[in-house]
Amino acid sequence: MSLDLTFIGQIVVFLTLVFLMRKYLYGPMAELMEARSNKIAEGLAAADAGKEAFAKAQAEIAEQLNEARAKAVEIIAAAEKRAAELSEESVTRARNEAEAIIDSAREEVGAELNRARQTLRAEVADIAMLAAEQVVEAELDASRHTKLIEGIVNKGFGNA
Amino acid sequence: MKKSLRETGLAETSHGEGGIAGHLQYWTLKIDESNPFMQIHLDTMLVSIVVAAGLFIFALWLKNRLVEGAPTGAQNFMESVVGFIDQTVTDNFPVHNPLIAPLAFTVFVFIALINTIDILPAFLIGNVAHVFGVEHFRPVPTNDLNLPAAMAVSVFVLVLYYEFKLKPMHFLRELVMEPFTSLVPIYLKPFVMPINLILKVVEEIAKPLSLSFRLFGNMFAGEVIFLLIAFLLLGGGAVGMAAGFFVGLAWTMFHLFIGLLQAFIFMILTVVYLSIAHQPVEH
Repeated sequence: MSLDLTFIGQIVVFLTLVFLMRKYLYGPMAELMEARSNKIAEGLAAADAGKEAFAKAQAEIAEQLNEARAKAVEIIAAAEKRAAELSEESVTRARNEAEAIIDSAREEVGAELNRARQTLRAEVADIAMLAAEQVVEAELDASRHTKLIEGIVNKGFGNA
Repeated sequence: MKKSLRETGLAETSHGEGGIAGHLQYWTLKIDESNPFMQIHLDTMLVSIVVAAGLFIFALWLKNRLVEGAPTGAQNFMESVVGFIDQTVTDNFPVHNPLIAPLAFTVFVFIALINTIDILPAFLIGNVAHVFGVEHFRPVPTNDLNLPAAMAVSVFVLVLYYEFKLKPMHFLRELVMEPFTSLVPIYLKPFVMPINLILKVVEEIAKPLSLSFRLFGNMFAGEVIFLLIAFLLLGGGAVGMAAGFFVGLAWTMFHLFIGLLQAFIFMILTVVYLSIAHQPVEH
């Protein structure tokens, strides 16, 4: 039960074993385990980052969708407004054109009326002169009485 | 169970060779007959070298099969051991020292493996050795004080190395000043210092002593109890043999547990002593 040279031998065996275990068993295993836990941690971090990116992308999509919707509403409103404007414009233009047509027609009618009135006036004077010549059967100074008759005719058509 | 069965058959043949004491002899090579230190226990050396070599071969075998993915089989088991040791060291250590965990791992695995040899039948290896002409053979090296002492002294030297390396002045000051010298008036200090020093030296020496004797004592006592069970019960006819079988079985299980427990205690104390040496100086 006493110490002897075995003690020295056992120290050598023990220290050699510590060295060998460190180099060939504990070292590689600890490295491997650390690498694995790092990998798992990285994986979890990547998963978290992915989740975050997904949430961000979703939020972005929702925002873009809202923007697009708002823009669409805006565009529709603008289009409706433009359509209303266009229709109003065409109505106004049609009305103006109609008015212009009516005006020109009215003018034409007026001019026709004047022309007809003047023709009628000349014809009435001639007829009156002829009638006067035949009824009176007197010598009449055409140049003197023409003025008179025109005066009468004018008086007669004055209100026409 | 195996142990008791073996004992059944072998106890009688071994009775006449000096009783229990005869089974507690080492296979010794004496280099100098007059000096008791100059001898070597060949059985202790052989078994410990075989266990160490087995561990080394296992390490080489496992190293080539390590997979980075989910571990299985031997790798899984060893990873749980490495993880357990690593956790123990991390919990106890204030700083990172890459030597401590492999040291604790070796202490634990080496002692646990050697202690487990004890569940082999008490006389089996001895009788195998007899076949080869060896008169005495102790199969469990932890039953030999040399192995626990060698490990305890290695750890103790490492503790002293770190004490001197990390805080040399603090350690020397503690040797002569704490706990008594710092309490007395200055004119009494020279008288108290030697007492303090002796006390501290005893305290420090007690560490490797208790570490080695705890393991040695437990394993030695366990072995003696195995032999007692064999000698006292197996000679008592059928009833004695049946009783010996069950008592031996129970003691085998208990001793297996003690062996594992002692490996754990040796490992945890190694970590704790080294951790104390690494503790930063408190002011």
